[in-house]
Amino acid sequence: MKSMQPADVLIVGAGATGSLAAVVLARAGLDVVCLEQGGWVEAGDHPHYSTDWSWQRRTRWNADVNKRHHPDDYSVRTNSSQVLMWNGVGGSTNVYGAIWPRYRPSDFRKGDEHGLQPNWPIAYEDLAPYYEQADRIVGTSGLHGDPAMPSRPPHPTGPLPPTEAARALAGAFDTLGWHWWPAEAAVISEDYDGRPACNGCGICSGCPRGSMSKYSLSVWPKALAAGARLRTHARVLRVETGKDGRATGAAYVDRTTGRTEFQPARIVVIAANGVGTPRLLLASDNLANSSDQVGRNLLHHTLVSSEMWLDRRIEGHMGYVASLISREFAETDVSRGFVNGFNFNCLTSTSSAGEVAAGWITDARAPWGRGHHGWFERHFGHGIGIHAIGDDLPNPDNRVTLDPAERDADEMPVARLFYRPGENDRRMMAFMLDRLTDLATAAGAFEVRLQDYLDADGVYRTPAWHMIGTCRMGADPESSVVNKWHQTWDVPNLFIMDGSVLATGGVVNPTSTISALALRAAEYVRDNFRELSGQSRSIAA
Amino acid sequence: MTGAVEAAGLLAALVDTLIPGDAGWPAAATVGVQSELATRLVQERGEDGLAKVLDALGGETAALLSGDEPARVAAMAAWEARDKDLFGWVRDVVYLAYYENPVVVRAINAHGHLYKLVPHVTGYKLPRFDAARDTPQHGRGAWTPTGAVRRVAVDTLCLAEEGAKP
Repeated sequence: MKSMQPADVLIVGAGATGSLAAVVLARAGLDVVCLEQGGWVEAGDHPHYSTDWSWQRRTRWNADVNKRHHPDDYSVRTNSSQVLMWNGVGGSTNVYGAIWPRYRPSDFRKGDEHGLQPNWPIAYEDLAPYYEQADRIVGTSGLHGDPAMPSRPPHPTGPLPPTEAARALAGAFDTLGWHWWPAEAAVISEDYDGRPACNGCGICSGCPRGSMSKYSLSVWPKALAAGARLRTHARVLRVETGKDGRATGAAYVDRTTGRTEFQPARIVVIAANGVGTPRLLLASDNLANSSDQVGRNLLHHTLVSSEMWLDRRIEGHMGYVASLISREFAETDVSRGFVNGFNFNCLTSTSSAGEVAAGWITDARAPWGRGHHGWFERHFGHGIGIHAIGDDLPNPDNRVTLDPAERDADEMPVARLFYRPGENDRRMMAFMLDRLTDLATAAGAFEVRLQDYLDADGVYRTPAWHMIGTCRMGADPESSVVNKWHQTWDVPNLFIMDGSVLATGGVVNPTSTISALALRAAEYVRDNFRELSGQSRSIAA
Repeated sequence: MTGAVEAAGLLAALVDTLIPGDAGWPAAATVGVQSELATRLVQERGEDGLAKVLDALGGETAALLSGDEPARVAAMAAWEARDKDLFGWVRDVVYLAYYENPVVVRAINAHGHLYKLVPHVTGYKLPRFDAARDTPQHGRGAWTPTGAVRRVAVDTLCLAEEGAKP
């Protein structure tokens, strides 16, 4: 095994958090090497320029790693989840929807609120400046002044064009007396940072223009300009440690040559997502796992959905896919029969006529035969989709483990993922479905369909867009994997910067929070590099 | 084994039974959906993907090729009832391929919808956000500050087994 020149910092994974960490650390003059198992995703790799982009979204561009069979991917065996993951430069931002709300202050204090989740060792106020920094680097749009959230400065670009779906839903929310607000997105409404404004195409499964912030276009150029070195097609097999217990670097296979190499580093940052990170730690002789928490407490969020169809024309195939957010039920109210809250992520509709006919987020689809076109004429241009997304309780049995026998092509143990919602989650989802029905009624829908994601056997098959919590942050080494600076309790020069550190899931899409956390942690490494390079114990939270 | 000519006719009959022509709408086979179906069967279901569908239709072949619409519909319904998963997969492929066809997009446009086959290239022009018109005026919404988070009573919820203790 050939050993490379030592780096100051080795980052494993070139996704959202790895790219942000690389910017911060390289700009400080540190020698940063990033290893990424996939490659660059070029504009032409996206389906957006093809007439069959709808078909590609179900096949080679499917967000589910187990459905697209890409050579850069690795399989994840799972009892229920459809695992959103993209292995390549920019990570899952190649295929995400870029909805960009923030956590709420109470999301960090669930231990105080009810004790069925831990407190975070940090507060919203610790993270707020980094949310703003992430907004500027990534490029976001939205409207400040939401009375349901703490005050914040304006987004770098203003709100995206309001759609007819937004107007129709705003009226329904007003009828019900419920909160609503224009959606926030990592999508720019004006030209920004060398990237063009969103043109409203509606194919929001990643964006080759970069109007939706694809981190390979918005962040990596900054990191590379600052001197970070990115090595693609480099699949990390294990993190190595020395006799002193410190990480020494990582062994990886160069997928171009087939050779195994070793990249030494003074500090190692793992940024491989909520599945890849625990998989790598477990495969590295159970590294950083004295707490037995690595891989546990997997969170996906509670999620149910609806589609409604209105008599008025919505033309929901146009415009950014998210329209409004409603935070009416975001805080805990135990009179509902459960703890924690949820939001409505209001969409427009699918941008694909074929998906209207063949089914989008519910099982509604056009009949075959003579009634087909009549159904299509009644429904196309009249539909709106809504997701209700809530804070699921952690369960140590919901977890990522290693298959005891199965290995991938590089002899890495295959990841296994188990997830099942608990009683509180099920109660919340039942409540959500009732409220989605209320909303459709208030909107005057002529038809509504609900999606509970239960299969014929009653198994909750979550889309699992979010994979978080599997190396959670905490104040106690007995019940967490990293401290408030993302430093693993067991290995002082090993940091985890991705969604796996989230102690709770919040009621929102997590990428903005994960990005802000990565910036904060990277600044800590930057500002304490000398001490961390020789530290023999992690600091107390 | 179904011969090539018969297979081509069978696929055309299949897609036309699923999406027959209608006022202003071409039938699926007219715009070549059967060709897309055959290709996608092989792409996603392997080299024998097409053969499996033809085999699955074995008992319905004569009815589907008959040109008698009620007989075709009955044959399709029988296949749907017998093999729901494969039928559903084929149906969805046919629907997607049909609406990805430029001629069908003309039909959508003729119904008054501005719909583009490849919208990413030029996008859809939408009116910009107008702060005076579009800013919510409802004033609703609240959040709990960090220091104001208070213990809620969970005893009555019977959630003792829930959650991971901090």
